[in-house]
Amino acid sequence: MRFLAVTLAVARKDIRSELRGRELLPALAQFVVLALIIANFAFDLDLVDGPRLSPGILWLVLVFAGLVSFGRAFAAEKDTGSLEAMLLTPAGAAAIFSGKALSAAAMLVACEAVLLPAMAVFLGSPISPLVVATVLVATVGMAAVGCLFAALAAQTRARELLLPVLALPIWVPFVVVGGRAVQVAMSGQSLAALPLAGQPLLVLADFDILFLVVATLAARYVLDD
Amino acid sequence: MTAVRAVGVVQRFGRLVALGPLDLDLAVGSRLAVLGGNGAGKTTLLRVLATVTRPAAGRLELLGLDAAHQRDRLRARLGYLGHQVGLYPALTVLENLEFFATLHGLSRREAEAAMLLVRLAPLARRRVEQLSRGQQQRLALGRAVLHRPELLVLDEPDASLDAEGRALLAELFEGRTVVMATHDPGLARELCDRAMLLKAGRDAGNPWTLRVVGG
Repeated sequence: MRFLAVTLAVARKDIRSELRGRELLPALAQFVVLALIIANFAFDLDLVDGPRLSPGILWLVLVFAGLVSFGRAFAAEKDTGSLEAMLLTPAGAAAIFSGKALSAAAMLVACEAVLLPAMAVFLGSPISPLVVATVLVATVGMAAVGCLFAALAAQTRARELLLPVLALPIWVPFVVVGGRAVQVAMSGQSLAALPLAGQPLLVLADFDILFLVVATLAARYVLDD
Repeated sequence: MTAVRAVGVVQRFGRLVALGPLDLDLAVGSRLAVLGGNGAGKTTLLRVLATVTRPAAGRLELLGLDAAHQRDRLRARLGYLGHQVGLYPALTVLENLEFFATLHGLSRREAEAAMLLVRLAPLARRRVEQLSRGQQQRLALGRAVLHRPELLVLDEPDASLDAEGRALLAELFEGRTVVMATHDPGLARELCDRAMLLKAGRDAGNPWTLRVVGG
């Protein structure tokens, strides 16, 4: 109960700070739209190629938006000393980490709320409920891993370099499985045609559980001296 | 009863020995001023005593608990204020205190009590980014005593405080064991009953009793 109260308090504090300060979300929204415009010109997309390349572009933009979003989660608090102040309470590093991961995931979901409609407009991508569900399920695990490595990177001077080096290899399974699911959904096929063991949403949910548990257990050792 | 017992405490940064070996015994209710020039090891000592960092060697006991292995229990009983105020600029005075109250498992009432204690009630709804540095320092002090800690570890708490703020410090120290680093010998005399001079990370004695011989 106390774990949940702390988690929600940390997440609420982060979201409230962002809504008032408006530092991250406007920049992320701009990044998403600019990335789609660049992809549009770089691949010389038309109405045929756009939907075909959409899954790859979606995951590329999402991965880089995630790096920015998660990177900020701990770096700013480390620099102002508020992370130290939080950790010196008896709240527990795992609950604090969970709250940070929850708020970072919420930022990424807000970014996805811009990304998916923008893809429909710029690339003509068919955005179905299955695409939205895949992206949301992948966000949970990506946020857990991304925040864990962001917490680790925040302790170092080369944090901007370290976070992508650590997080990107671990995100590959999300991109592979999520990419496959989005590809199927955008081509108008049904996931029911795939074998149960290969159901991308179930595999992504398994990844989520695994990485949530590992990241929460490891948070104490990463955050505490 | 002893509030702080340090035996051979050492802190290193790479090869550099920043602190110690240092021994310290502080009785419950004592107030120790840690004095010394820049780079003497004051902040390092305070961070070790506040359980922010673990000492590289030696044994540290705080309030009868082992600082290395019982940190979680200790943190509910000690308050720390470092160099940085560690507040959230976009949140108001009361929201900051309420947030830390939640982390301590306390109610909104306790947050309001701390706000009254540091005399920031008229600014309850003002964002921290709109406060002066001295007001932020007072709020950070309010956060440090929010959970009524028995041991207070403060790194230059008088920074940016006006005369009223300095009087507030005396009030906050009442009934508590305090370890405070300061560059102001006058304030140390006024608020503390013991002093320790640090030089190159080592205890160079009590500056109030040291006399230059043959000088």
